[in-house]
Amino acid sequence: MATGFFTDTTLCIGCKACEVACKQWNELPSDGFSFTGNSYDNTSELSGTTWRHVAFIEQTTATEDGVENRWLMSSDVCKHCTNAGCLEACPTGAIIRNEFDSVFIQPDICNGCGYCVVSCPFGVVDLIAKFDPDGSHYNVASLMEERREERQTALQNNGGVAGKCTLCYDRQTLGFTPACAKACPTESIQFGDVEELRERARKRAVTLAGRGVDAQLYGVDDVGGGVGPLNAFFLLTDRPEAYNLPAAPVLPSTRQPAGYTAAALTALGLAVAGWMIFRNA
Amino acid sequence: MLSEFTPDQTVDDRRRPTYYDLPLLKAPHWEWNVVTYLFLGGIMGGLGLIQLLADGRKESERTLKRDARITAFALAAANPAILITHLGRPERFLNMMRIVKFKSPMSLGVWGLVLYSGAAGANMVRELALEGVLPRWLRFIAPGFLTPMQALLGAFTAGYTGVLLSATANPFWGSGKRHIPTASVASGLASACALSSLLCAIEGNTEPLHKLERLEMAAGATELLALVDFRRASGEYGKPFFEGARGKKLRDTTMIAGTLVPMALNLLGSIIKLPKPVDAVRVAVASILTLTGGYVLRESLIEAGKDSARDPRAAFRQPT
Ligand code: SF4
Ligand code: SF4
Repeated sequence: MATGFFTDTTLCIGCKACEVACKQWNELPSDGFSFTGNSYDNTSELSGTTWRHVAFIEQTTATEDGVENRWLMSSDVCKHCTNAGCLEACPTGAIIRNEFDSVFIQPDICNGCGYCVVSCPFGVVDLIAKFDPDGSHYNVASLMEERREERQTALQNNGGVAGKCTLCYDRQTLGFTPACAKACPTESIQFGDVEELRERARKRAVTLAGRGVDAQLYGVDDVGGGVGPLNAFFLLTDRPEAYNLPAAPVLPSTRQPAGYTAAALTALGLAVAGWMIFRNA
Repeated sequence: MLSEFTPDQTVDDRRRPTYYDLPLLKAPHWEWNVVTYLFLGGIMGGLGLIQLLADGRKESERTLKRDARITAFALAAANPAILITHLGRPERFLNMMRIVKFKSPMSLGVWGLVLYSGAAGANMVRELALEGVLPRWLRFIAPGFLTPMQALLGAFTAGYTGVLLSATANPFWGSGKRHIPTASVASGLASACALSSLLCAIEGNTEPLHKLERLEMAAGATELLALVDFRRASGEYGKPFFEGARGKKLRDTTMIAGTLVPMALNLLGSIIKLPKPVDAVRVAVASILTLTGGYVLRESLIEAGKDSARDPRAAFRQPT
């Protein structure tokens, strides 16, 4: 069965329970800590070791009677694209599509070439830094004291590979809901059969429109550029860019035919020139 | 004392074009090793053509052919080692050999490199056997078809170093989906000619020089045209490459010192007959300038790609 996420941002309260649950279940190390000053968002982006990221957007709009404030929150995640740039680019075959139709990186196959990193149109996947026991990455999210050392050794060994959301592959095989969806207190993150979720998202958009909310679906249908529909899609109340989502993503492999053709024509032209120079000189 | 917050009534935050100006995309983690890999990949590719063009029946071109084959194999052997140093898990390099993936330029390129090494290696052994360095019977290791084969695989190797960049989600690289592969092939051939000329000059084998130089001029002119047209076509997306300090370095080092100056020097060589030692200096200078320009081209491409990835506005629009 194809499963996915429907993230209804109108229900998000910005509690970051998803971020924490994801870090804990997947035993991802801390990325260090700093205050960004960007509303309540001190995570900033998805990374090799941050697989859910809650965006906070504060908006002040001038209206006829003063100002109107709104605060948008949205939990971002790997989109598990129908045509995934990362999967197509991976030269080792480390990135596969599993039985839940999710895009999964096999950490023991990946050799850390980093080609998936430049091939994701959503800037999701990234390389996991080599774990530095003396550095700021010391705090493994795992609460289990006795597993800490074991986990740190594992991270040290696993550093240098690409990391991103697995759609909780391990939990799904056990019949569990992914950690983020399970932890979300408002059901802003919904998990389930992807077709059913698409229906639900469309209905929700209609309901919200009836209430005068400017609800936009992102990824329920084809996002264009060859990427196709997403298995993790969103209901937004502003342009995608406001949430740092691309309105016009492009699947990298669509750029290949032009590139190979240009290279072949140039090589042919120069070979002919070379032949003339070497034979007739 | 805390002052009361009064929102600026003229501001319309809904018009904010980005998310706190944070990048949308991830920048490549690629450093000097990938730059070198691409640079050498281009030269290897060019040498593939030179070893095909050189006429084995003429003594001077025989030497050129032999040199091209030996250098090509040396580079093909060095390149995987350089590639390995950039991997997060170098010990897993061989995982690239698990599959052949037509959708992945990285996968195809590595296979192209492996096949190229095979052809170049066999052709090199043949040369050495013909010279008597290796047992003579070893010359049968390389059947004749391997000569055009090495040229064909070379064209692929040089072309793929461009497609590897241009077929990604990076807006700047994507804006050069035609220009980057074209410039990569042309620059690779120009550098290969420069390297071959340098070797000829060192060996005192001046005969093939004028042919190599003419080919280098053709390749250099193609590269220059590709870059000039790239600037026009890429518009906003090309800014990290063509403008600022990096743009100046590209113009001075690759376009002027790395292409125009060697072209002028090569032209000079074909018009005026210089005394031998002076001419050797001319060839050496032209060659080193071309090679430096080729390296700086690849370096600028990678670095500009990093800047482009950090610019969310470029990533939101994406070139078509
Ligand atoms: S969002 Fe990026 S990392 Fe996730 S499946 Fe799509 S291309 Fe891959
Ligand atoms: S970094 Fe790993 S997962 Fe990404 S493309 Fe390379 S081998 Fe594949």
